[in-house]
Amino acid sequence: MDIAYKGEHLLPGQLGQFFIVLALGSALFSFICYFFASRETALKGDNSWLHMGRIGYWLNTVSILGMGTCLFYLIYNHYFEYHYAWSYTSRSLPVYYIVSGFWNGQEGAFLLWMFWQAVLGNILIWKAKSWEKPVMTTVALSQVILCSMILGVQIGAAHIGSSPFLLLRNAMEAPIFQRADYLDFIKDGRGMNPSLQNYWMIIHPPVLFLGISSLVIPFAYAVAGLWQRRYQDWVKPAIPYALFACMVLGTGVIMGAFWAYESLNFGGFWAWDPVENASIFAWLVLVAAVHVLIVFKNTGHSYFTATLLTLLSFVLVWYSSFLARSGVLGDSSVHAFTDLGLFWQLVIGVMVFLVITVYLLVSRWKELPITKKDEETYSREFWMFVGAVFMGLSCFHLIIVTSIPVWNLMFGTKFAPPVDPVKHYNVIQASFAVVVTLLTGFTQFLKYKKTDVTRFFITTIIYLVFAALITALIAFGTGVYKLHFVFILVMLCSVYSVVANAKVLADAMKGKFKLAGSAIAHIGFGLMLVGALISAGTKRVISENLTGEQYSEDFAKTENPKENILLYKNEPLKMGDYSVTFTGDTIEGLNHYFNINYTRLDAKGNKTEEFNLRPNVIVAGDAGLSSSPDTKHYLLHDLYTHVTMTNIISNDPKAAEEQQHGANTDDSDYDAPVAHQIAIGDTIPYRDGIIVLKRLNKNAKIQDIPLTQNDIAIGAQIEVITHGKTYKAEPVYLIKGKSVYDFGKKVEDAGLKLSFTKIIPGKTPGEGKVEITVYTQPESKKKFIVMKAIEFPYINFLWAGTIIMVIGFFISILRRNKELKTV
Amino acid sequence: MKKSSILGIIVIAVAIAVIISTYSTSSTYGSFNDAKKTGSELHVVGHLNKQKALFYDATKDANYFSFYMKDNKGEECKVIVTGTKPQDFERSEQIVLTGKMKGNEFHASHILLKCPSKYTDGKLNVTEVSARKSASI
Repeated sequence: MDIAYKGEHLLPGQLGQFFIVLALGSALFSFICYFFASRETALKGDNSWLHMGRIGYWLNTVSILGMGTCLFYLIYNHYFEYHYAWSYTSRSLPVYYIVSGFWNGQEGAFLLWMFWQAVLGNILIWKAKSWEKPVMTTVALSQVILCSMILGVQIGAAHIGSSPFLLLRNAMEAPIFQRADYLDFIKDGRGMNPSLQNYWMIIHPPVLFLGISSLVIPFAYAVAGLWQRRYQDWVKPAIPYALFACMVLGTGVIMGAFWAYESLNFGGFWAWDPVENASIFAWLVLVAAVHVLIVFKNTGHSYFTATLLTLLSFVLVWYSSFLARSGVLGDSSVHAFTDLGLFWQLVIGVMVFLVITVYLLVSRWKELPITKKDEETYSREFWMFVGAVFMGLSCFHLIIVTSIPVWNLMFGTKFAPPVDPVKHYNVIQASFAVVVTLLTGFTQFLKYKKTDVTRFFITTIIYLVFAALITALIAFGTGVYKLHFVFILVMLCSVYSVVANAKVLADAMKGKFKLAGSAIAHIGFGLMLVGALISAGTKRVISENLTGEQYSEDFAKTENPKENILLYKNEPLKMGDYSVTFTGDTIEGLNHYFNINYTRLDAKGNKTEEFNLRPNVIVAGDAGLSSSPDTKHYLLHDLYTHVTMTNIISNDPKAAEEQQHGANTDDSDYDAPVAHQIAIGDTIPYRDGIIVLKRLNKNAKIQDIPLTQNDIAIGAQIEVITHGKTYKAEPVYLIKGKSVYDFGKKVEDAGLKLSFTKIIPGKTPGEGKVEITVYTQPESKKKFIVMKAIEFPYINFLWAGTIIMVIGFFISILRRNKELKTV
Repeated sequence: MKKSSILGIIVIAVAIAVIISTYSTSSTYGSFNDAKKTGSELHVVGHLNKQKALFYDATKDANYFSFYMKDNKGEECKVIVTGTKPQDFERSEQIVLTGKMKGNEFHASHILLKCPSKYTDGKLNVTEVSARKSASI
């Protein structure tokens, strides 16, 4: 039975779905037209296939823009009848996160990828000249496969693609969809995962996907070169695009690392999570490819390797996409990408490009311009080639280990990833880094084709000794010397690379400025490794706490150090060089901030430094809590503070309700009361300090209770002194008519409730005593946070290195682009 | 011999070394029973026994969390984690532990949770304003 649903906005979704079909159709049309236009049999001067191919691609671009507009319209207007809008956004999200909700889901990510590919395709149509036809054939094919990923059509049991315009009632089954007015009950969407609510979510995905989509261009050029038998010609125009892809993809990946570092959600800037690894496969191989392409351009050697690496880098993009999106990594990755049921479709995506690569290389094998001549040992190209091969090997290692779940699936085995993946990857990858950085250093002293050997050895050794001196200084200054010797070797080679390239840069400044790009990029790469090594190697948790009550000292020795400390409100605790105090919390929207005061004292106990950090916890309804740290940045290190647990906010709905209703009476929050009979000026000691009765106030007033002349109201003016702070309270004793009341006062910050319960008259007024009843909060009811503080030293080298490397890539792009114009 | 052949041999040697080192450092998925036998670290997949109590009391020790987990073969074991209780732990559908046995307790160095959190599941949260709540304000 069809139900006439009320309040749905079906038009934008139908329009969006129409654009998807149009995009797929036009991409396919463009692919076919370009394919025929590129055939050798196509008539010279007949450009009708070419024109139709262009029209197809333009139509595809327009459809993608249409799709994006429709999707944005749905999200922006909170049309929760759509699964995508409901899944990734909510009314409470600020507008800038609504924008990033656009690419929160996989469908949106594919859309972003398609969008950039459309933009790049148009640039190629404009710029590629004689290469347009074959290159655009491949780009259009890639666009066809991407469009199919979001098609959302069911054919029999198989479904092709997952559409962002799927209606909620079609996406899931629930009894509520039997009601025509179901939308009245869907007040809000599920919102965004709190760990994604970060400004990096706005900028990181667009940059990353621009990088990913730009990899199609070198691939398309390589394919075109082989297909059209223009074996040598494709290299020159492809190099600037390949450099561009390296630059943008590298920036995107590093932005992700920065995000991970900043939010600490994954335990640092690089945790070797499978999805992180997957993101870098293509980058490593493409950087290797760029080097070999340059070798080939300069010397004519290494054609096969250059082509193979260029082709593989794009196949790896698809393989990464498969790893991240097929759900195959489910047991090994913290990036909880869900499986949209596209497993086989993604496999097909990978296979299409792999088959093209293999077919072209095999069918053209005999014609490839492979030199039989051996390279000179003392030539730059030979060692550049070796370096590229080692980058490829390092990627090979990453792929082998990251793909363990894939091997298990293929061979039915039950391997698990290494128990300590960080250590495993760090040591092996560091070994590759030793070779690669060493080569980026000494190849700078070599020339293409032939070099003066004696001079080369002298310069190399001088710089190596110089680098060793600097390394020794760094290693002892930062404590890196305590690490595995491989890391010290990497440090040496990275420093060497920085020094050697700095010399080249200095030379370049004097004249050969065109060489500056590579030198700058290498310096950046070297600094990046130096920063990564020091900060990952010597980062330390300063909130170490070895005083757990349940542990014997023996236990603390054998177990890993306890990294979390408990802070009660307003009770300072010594942590490393600091004294830390949790002073309070504030709520701003969904964010719950905790104020933590850091004070550094010198040996004499004088305050040398004081600052406050405000780590944040996002309460996301039933999704629990998500905490993000606050950081104190110093020039040479960062200090992180992170709330890992608290009893102040609870995601248990029952507790929250109790709090709201005040259902639980106060007294259950306190230990059994203790009555003290004291005179004015007397002191009551209690667990966290002392309570002093200062004086009695005969004219006490009680809010909302009018007092007559016959009533007696006496206030006990009390001071509570705890942890160096003084709080005032005035509980009141009231005799009204024939009844006696006491109005207790809570001193929240001291965890106390005080009641004035009796007056004991003495012979003289001076001897009179009063009874004060003290309710102490048990430890567990006192407000507390559990926090973790980490120090990351010298992290700024890593970020500075990255920025320098990107600048280097950019200068290289300009240089290679210029070469293109002059030739 | 040509240099490219030497390089080729080195490449193959390194590749083999990589595969062997991966093979030797990779661990295996197993059950608590396997963990008792080996004594070395391995991965155990299972789910939380919701009948038995979780223990985490930050006021006693902020770095001690214990719970009972049933592995995929149905065997139950007490698990101890040095650290705070992960958010949303009670709602986890599947837990992947990395660690080893010490006596009768499994000491986990790493936990990976799979939660049917509201960001991934297919269930629908319908908010209805309850009359009782609005009346009490």
